Amino acid sequence: KAIVARLGYSLVYKGVVNSSVLCICCPQQQQQVGLCHLCNGTVQNGTAVSQFCSASAGLIDGRCCLLRKENIRDADYIIGLDLSNCSLSRVEDLQDAFSATTIDLSLNPIVNLDDSLFEGFIQLANLILPANLVCPGGNASWDKVKVKGETHFCEGQKDICNQTGYLSLNCPENSLCVPYGPGFFQCSCVDAFRGYKCLREGEFPIIQVFGPLAGSTVLVSILLWLTQRRKAISV
Amino acid sequence: MSSPCCGFLAQYTHHHLVAFLLTFFSYVLLHASRKTFSNVKVSISAQWTPSVQNASSPAFSPRETWEKNNLFADSDEATLFLGVLDTIFLFSYAVGLYMSGVIGDRMNLRYVLSFGLCGSAIVEFVFGTLTEWLQFYNIYLYCGLWVLNGLLQSAVWPCVVAVMGNWFGKSGRGFVFGLWSACASVGNILGAFLASSVLKYGYEYAFLVTSVLQFAGGVVVFFGLLTSPKEVGLCLESETSLSPVERDADSHRPLMSDEEDEEEEGEEEGSEEVCDGGYYTIQQGDEEPRETPKAIGFCQAFCLPGVLPYSLAYACLKLVNYSFFFWLPFYLSRNFGWKEAQADRLSVWYDVGGIIGGTIQGLISDCMGKRAPVLAVSLLLAMGALVGYSHSPPDQVVNAALLATTGFFIGGPSNMISSAISADLGRQEALRGSQEALATVTGIVDGTGSIGAAAGQYLVSLIESKLGWMCVFYFFIVMTGGSIVFILPLIVTEIRAMWRDRQARTHQL
Repeated sequence: KAIVARLGYSLVYKGVVNSSVLCICCPQQQQQVGLCHLCNGTVQNGTAVSQFCSASAGLIDGRCCLLRKENIRDADYIIGLDLSNCSLSRVEDLQDAFSATTIDLSLNPIVNLDDSLFEGFIQLANLILPANLVCPGGNASWDKVKVKGETHFCEGQKDICNQTGYLSLNCPENSLCVPYGPGFFQCSCVDAFRGYKCLREGEFPIIQVFGPLAGSTVLVSILLWLTQRRKAISV
Repeated sequence: MSSPCCGFLAQYTHHHLVAFLLTFFSYVLLHASRKTFSNVKVSISAQWTPSVQNASSPAFSPRETWEKNNLFADSDEATLFLGVLDTIFLFSYAVGLYMSGVIGDRMNLRYVLSFGLCGSAIVEFVFGTLTEWLQFYNIYLYCGLWVLNGLLQSAVWPCVVAVMGNWFGKSGRGFVFGLWSACASVGNILGAFLASSVLKYGYEYAFLVTSVLQFAGGVVVFFGLLTSPKEVGLCLESETSLSPVERDADSHRPLMSDEEDEEEEGEEEGSEEVCDGGYYTIQQGDEEPRETPKAIGFCQAFCLPGVLPYSLAYACLKLVNYSFFFWLPFYLSRNFGWKEAQADRLSVWYDVGGIIGGTIQGLISDCMGKRAPVLAVSLLLAMGALVGYSHSPPDQVVNAALLATTGFFIGGPSNMISSAISADLGRQEALRGSQEALATVTGIVDGTGSIGAAAGQYLVSLIESKLGWMCVFYFFIVMTGGSIVFILPLIVTEIRAMWRDRQARTHQL
């Protein structure tokens, strides 16, 4: 029953999952269901996530803060994730929380983070990491970076596309740079361009072209048959 | 010699006009779809390759938009494959031409023609549009489809020339065929315009439009084409009704002789109104019924006088012509640094020169009654034009003028050999009107030409990469000279005949 489809927000079914998994190296399916229930407990009061959650009127579920969308049944998407003190040694895939604004990974014995872990996290404004880790995308991708004791705070994602001299971000023709997470960017097609490499522009007017063509073919065929072939003798 | 130059239009009915237009436009549509492939090469190779990035920068994201397609690693490999596709197409086209001519003479021309047009349209649709809609790219599929396309397209040319040969007798043939053989160039121009206007929606739509147009053309041809005057009971002017006495001297006669025209005018009494094939005779009496013309065998057709020299000459000429057609935009943009759109538009001038050349030279050869001398003069001047063009200054106007001139002198003979002369060869006295050879002969001439053109594509790129563009032009000049050499025996024969006539006439006066 654990069907998760990523259609711009993640659908999280409240299912009972084995919560004694300490290491996030499980098959995808369980993980999708279980990100909020990855470790025991729930969001503690007074943490950054809980403060943020109450401020945005979200729902606490396990370790996640969910924002319920009224129009869509059973559709929640994660706006906050608190995985602190989970005894995680590796973090592999947090993609279900891509819409999160606040993520807390502190107090975990994580050695290092994957480069692409936070790809797509365009809403992420507050990232709390153990002190030994660097902010993803480097310090230049964040407005404020501070280290307080055991934790590393990365606040305020910078728009990489606006920065000069960071990288030579030349998106190919017909596409524009859009930010895609801390230190990430995408080249998405501008305006009416679409398709592979943004080569195609506009919608081909099929009816306007082929309607008259079919009509005139029929007309001309009939006309010619009447004037030419009707009197033909078989040779 | 009374030249039938003026007033020949009176003999043509609306059936002639429709036959002219239908055959003209079927070949226009065919060539337009061929040109479409040439024009969308840049877009197709972009579709087949991932985005280019220097080694240090990361790949672009999202992957679906920039990196997904990996049929070829980079655009150089894709270009190589596109060249391979061209060669495959030309070779299968050449093979198909040899076969289709034979088939066309044995089966109903209308069926073969519509089948070729519609079948080729379907294959092109699958090649360009369906593979893109299904996002299925495969090298072997492309090669297989293009081989099939070449075979199907080869059915068209011999049939259209045969139909034209049936409808238009020898008297106005040079001019009419010259005008008609502009169809290839008109098709190039139409294809260029169609492709460039639809390309922005995606190259698959360029294929869609041209293949649907071609299919519609096949349908119209099926319902509207009369393959010969016999089908409506009209007669072609008698051209094979020479009395048996003259036949013995035939082998020494040039291909087109004036004696035949004089014969026609002397037969006004109506004793020679027998139509080709004898289905409709005005004359009553003891004329023995002629049998249905048999189709000629391939080897017999090959051994007809004039077929071999003209085929070889056409191989050389089509090599030059097709290499110009294919490589010209590339040469213009590489050598002079002009943009591809400008180069495309400039290259149209070559086709324009070819149209004018074919028409005017056809007219001249009609009035003279001889074809080979006209060809020889034009080819000699073509060599000069090629030298001139190879030294063209980077000015667009001058370049266009030189291009038109070169097109006039090369395209003219090329058009003539592939159309009017093939029709001559297929309806010559040696056949005695009892054999259908027109499509077979056309197939042989054009098939040999296509093999020459196919070899030329590879040679031109080889010479260019090793020796540069100047050597390519020298190669063209050598080829043009070669085609003159091949038709030299025919030129000598025809000039001797002309000289003999002139002496005979001065003696009479």
